[in-house]
Amino acid sequence: MADFNTDFPMSEKEVLPWEKVGKEYRLNYKRAGMLVDLDRCIGCHSCSVSCKTENEVPLGNFRMRVRYLEQPDNKQISFTPLICMHCVDAPCLKACPSKAIRREDDGRVFIDENRCDLEKECVEACPYGAISINVEKEVAEKCDFCTHRTEVGLDPACVSNCPTDALVFGDLDDPESRISKLVDKKKAKAWKAEEKTNPSVLYVSHEKWMEEKANTGVQLDPKDEDVTYEQNNLKK
Amino acid sequence: MSDLTRRSILKLGSALIAGGFSPLRVSAQNATSGKTFGVLGRLDYSKAKATPTICFACTNHCGVIGWVQDGLVRKIDGNPLDPNTEGNLCSKAQGMISYTYYPERILYPLRRVGKRGEGKWKRITWDEAYTELAEKMRPLRENGTPEEFVFHYGRDKTKGYTKHFTNAFGTPHRLNRRSICSSNRRAPLMSFYGRDFEWETQDLSNTKYVINWGGNPYEAYQGGLFMAHRLQSARVDHGAKLVTFEVRPSATASKSDEFHTVMPGTDGAVAFAMIHTILKEGLEDKEFWNRWANLSLDELRKSVKDYTPEWAEKKSGVPAADIRRIAIEFANAAPACCTMSNRGSAKHYNGMQSDRAIRTLDVLVGNVGKPGGYCLSSLRGWSGKYGQEGLPNLKLPEPKASDPKPWGIGEGFDEVAFKSQQRAAHARSEGRFSSVIPVFNPVKDIMVSDDECIRERISMGDLGALKPYFADIGAQGVDALQCSEHPQDEKLIPFHVAIDIGYGEQSALADMILPEATSLERWDYHSTNCYGLVPYTGIRQPLVDPQGESKSIQVILRELAHKIGGGMEKHFTYKDDESLYRDWYKELPISWEEFKRRGIWQEKDRPKDYELYERPLTDGELAGTNFKAGKLADGALVEKDGKAVGIMKDGKAVRGFPTPNRVINVYDEIFPEAATAVGLPLSDGNASPLATWHEVPEHVDLPDDRFIFSTFKWNVHTQGRSGHWKYSAEIIHTNPIFMHPDTGKTLGLVEGDEVEVSVYRPTGFTYRAREKGVMGSFKNHVRFLKGMHKRVVMCSHHVGQSETSKPEASKAETSPAEGKSKKLADRRLKDGVWWAKKRGGIGGGVHINDALPINPAPLIGGQNWYDNVCSIEKV
Repeated sequence: MADFNTDFPMSEKEVLPWEKVGKEYRLNYKRAGMLVDLDRCIGCHSCSVSCKTENEVPLGNFRMRVRYLEQPDNKQISFTPLICMHCVDAPCLKACPSKAIRREDDGRVFIDENRCDLEKECVEACPYGAISINVEKEVAEKCDFCTHRTEVGLDPACVSNCPTDALVFGDLDDPESRISKLVDKKKAKAWKAEEKTNPSVLYVSHEKWMEEKANTGVQLDPKDEDVTYEQNNLKK
Repeated sequence: MSDLTRRSILKLGSALIAGGFSPLRVSAQNATSGKTFGVLGRLDYSKAKATPTICFACTNHCGVIGWVQDGLVRKIDGNPLDPNTEGNLCSKAQGMISYTYYPERILYPLRRVGKRGEGKWKRITWDEAYTELAEKMRPLRENGTPEEFVFHYGRDKTKGYTKHFTNAFGTPHRLNRRSICSSNRRAPLMSFYGRDFEWETQDLSNTKYVINWGGNPYEAYQGGLFMAHRLQSARVDHGAKLVTFEVRPSATASKSDEFHTVMPGTDGAVAFAMIHTILKEGLEDKEFWNRWANLSLDELRKSVKDYTPEWAEKKSGVPAADIRRIAIEFANAAPACCTMSNRGSAKHYNGMQSDRAIRTLDVLVGNVGKPGGYCLSSLRGWSGKYGQEGLPNLKLPEPKASDPKPWGIGEGFDEVAFKSQQRAAHARSEGRFSSVIPVFNPVKDIMVSDDECIRERISMGDLGALKPYFADIGAQGVDALQCSEHPQDEKLIPFHVAIDIGYGEQSALADMILPEATSLERWDYHSTNCYGLVPYTGIRQPLVDPQGESKSIQVILRELAHKIGGGMEKHFTYKDDESLYRDWYKELPISWEEFKRRGIWQEKDRPKDYELYERPLTDGELAGTNFKAGKLADGALVEKDGKAVGIMKDGKAVRGFPTPNRVINVYDEIFPEAATAVGLPLSDGNASPLATWHEVPEHVDLPDDRFIFSTFKWNVHTQGRSGHWKYSAEIIHTNPIFMHPDTGKTLGLVEGDEVEVSVYRPTGFTYRAREKGVMGSFKNHVRFLKGMHKRVVMCSHHVGQSETSKPEASKAETSPAEGKSKKLADRRLKDGVWWAKKRGGIGGGVHINDALPINPAPLIGGQNWYDNVCSIEKV
């Protein structure tokens, strides 16, 4: 075994990014939110697959979906990730008869798996089709901004794994936060604003026609229709 | 989908629960009792161990962080220290978890018991495997015929360890897969710049204008992930413009500021018209061109005289006004502009020449090596080569065996032909011949390699049917029927060993299967071109122990070498992989432990790889050369031992480019030389020393009822080796035929119609071109897309394998059941695959390779994937 140079130009004491994990790094926001920049998104699915791996989302369920939507008047395709909007006026929260859905201190909407009685009212109530039934765990399932990551200082998996910086997580109540500045600068808007649920997930460059076509997509094979129950549950 | 259907399925979901049918609950309960892979509960990041390593889910090899809890790899994140990815990663990285815990993974050595290909296996011990192999291989060395052992591999990501083995054994017969991949694309780089540089490395962070011919870095492309975030940032944050010529609305085309559909095989015509325009407008960089190109501007002007934008419009369908405008915009952005090209331009009969035209554009506007321009980075494998000056020397620390004598290729090849081909076809560099379509001899009309050469010369077999990148479970080559016939012939290949992580088309035809460790269980040395333009290196390290009895390729080759003996063992002195890699990296200026902690090393203060060709030769490099101050004229070569190492410019000895004449070879006699040597008529466009545009032979006068059949990649898959990655397969598990709605209308089709696609044999100077008529057919359903070229129909090529184990894990009758993974298998696949046929789904796509002819480009040998002419019939 060779001897090694011990004159290190890089400090061994330097804490590396993935070593900064723990309760002391917890992300403390007043209003947790996410910006989805469709100008940047390249439709790569890193967010959705990362989310499924992170949260053990069963085949057939999606907390986050990525849609390939053919533009109505153009030969190009638009890409859009879709998740739970963590609405300030969340219809699911009101609809749940067993009070299994609660709002956390930072505003995120969270399903308490231990309290969920599978009434499925939330699935019907959500205008975004963001909630589905996890047959493996026998609970209703949706995005919670990766609570287990944010409480130790990590961004949600989708944000952390997005290769083009199309997803930004941060505090919408802090005007100095990166997300707040981007929301202003890029005039980010709600998906399905007419539902008036006041979402905490805001989109840059989303267009109305996408909302109508969100249940379809170039990557969805129409022949799959009978079994892609959760892939298609955006349709109301 | 109707609400009714959705509700009924949701109801089905609750019925399953009510009936207690929830098999995964069981594994959830087992989670605490030991290692298993069911529902595990949330990852606890404060307890999980983070280890940096290198992803192996595609050719990019991104620095990643793997999180391990309770002995299981649970999540892959990006490594922010990786200067190529800058911490980014894509969906495919999570596929490593899928293939590591894949239930059909082979975990024990297996010996065939039935007929070859019958699928009957018995489990044997490693000692039995090594003993039998050594008894078969040893006599080849003892009898002086080691070349009868053939090693077939994908992309050697051990960075030379497998070659170390074949060299020590004494065989030159290493079959790679480059001809089905990038050879047409690499040959122009070899010719222009002397090396393929692992691709050019465009300075996308600083660019203002990019013209892209058929490259798709937002979805696939070697280096795609490194390029995508830089290019998106350049576009969105800094207003750079991306112009794409494509035949379909790829992710890259869809995010481009301009997307022009182009007739397949005419990318070069568009590039020539741009050269024509730039010269006509006087926008060329005369100073750069005259300093570095080996052709005068007058000669170039003469050669593109007839390539007007109007001519190109007729060929390509791209409006002349657009071609002219884009050319002018591109030249005006110089030097912060660059071209990009890949399969779309290169995988054609004329692809090599088309890429030479595209490469000429960069030289013409003088963006080569400039900030924001078309850069050439230092090379991988740090050994003081071009651009690596001052970096630590990193090399395989074992005592080297000398290179075996070159393969005297099969019939019809003489020494001259071989030598002249060697450089032009250096794209096949790692092995002299690629796997499926290596060298084509138009005189004899035979294939040399998998075909006749194996028939004539190879009596041993194919150790390491690794298939691309060692992790491939079962991609098949083109003309899959022919490709599988030969491995079935026991006279042709008396013994065939597959080393793989799972069961695929090739291992199905093996006599012995050796279980390989996955990328999450092994070590590797990594370096590649860096889009940040500062070289770096990274270490792949195991996050968990190899499952079952699987072993890394390095361990397998080392132990086998010792078993064979006869001197081979002297080249394998390390006891374990970590010691080997520790010494491989011993010149690194940080400790081994610190390197493992970071996963990446880069000399941060090193200047970027801009204008490497203008850098003066150092005193050390000048020692022993013919350089004496003031004695050599401008343009004279600085030589050492008869080899040019630099060139005189402005009285200074500078490096120039690593070509024999140290300048850019826009003009290259290698092409007519090679053509003469192999009997390709000089009238064929491929034989031209100067880039030229010639129509793909079978596209000339294409009848209205014929179309071009092409393939493409989706972003969640990696070639044909990701069909069993569950989350990728869930998103894409079918490969419908995409076409323009007008094409469908012409054919009387509506979306969803089933059609039969019949592909015809090619007609140029290529393999079996004399056999007119249909090569093969397949059936699939159609989908419409407005962004498709109207003469093109396309399927993705990821799915539909016949032997590949798919996520539904329903292959028990054909799988080597005894070798399967048990304990750590992902149990959630058992009932979760909703698209599986057994659950009433549509299954896993259609195999298209049986219908595609072997069609290598003359001289270079790259498969012309995108030339196929087809007809379409409604079923």
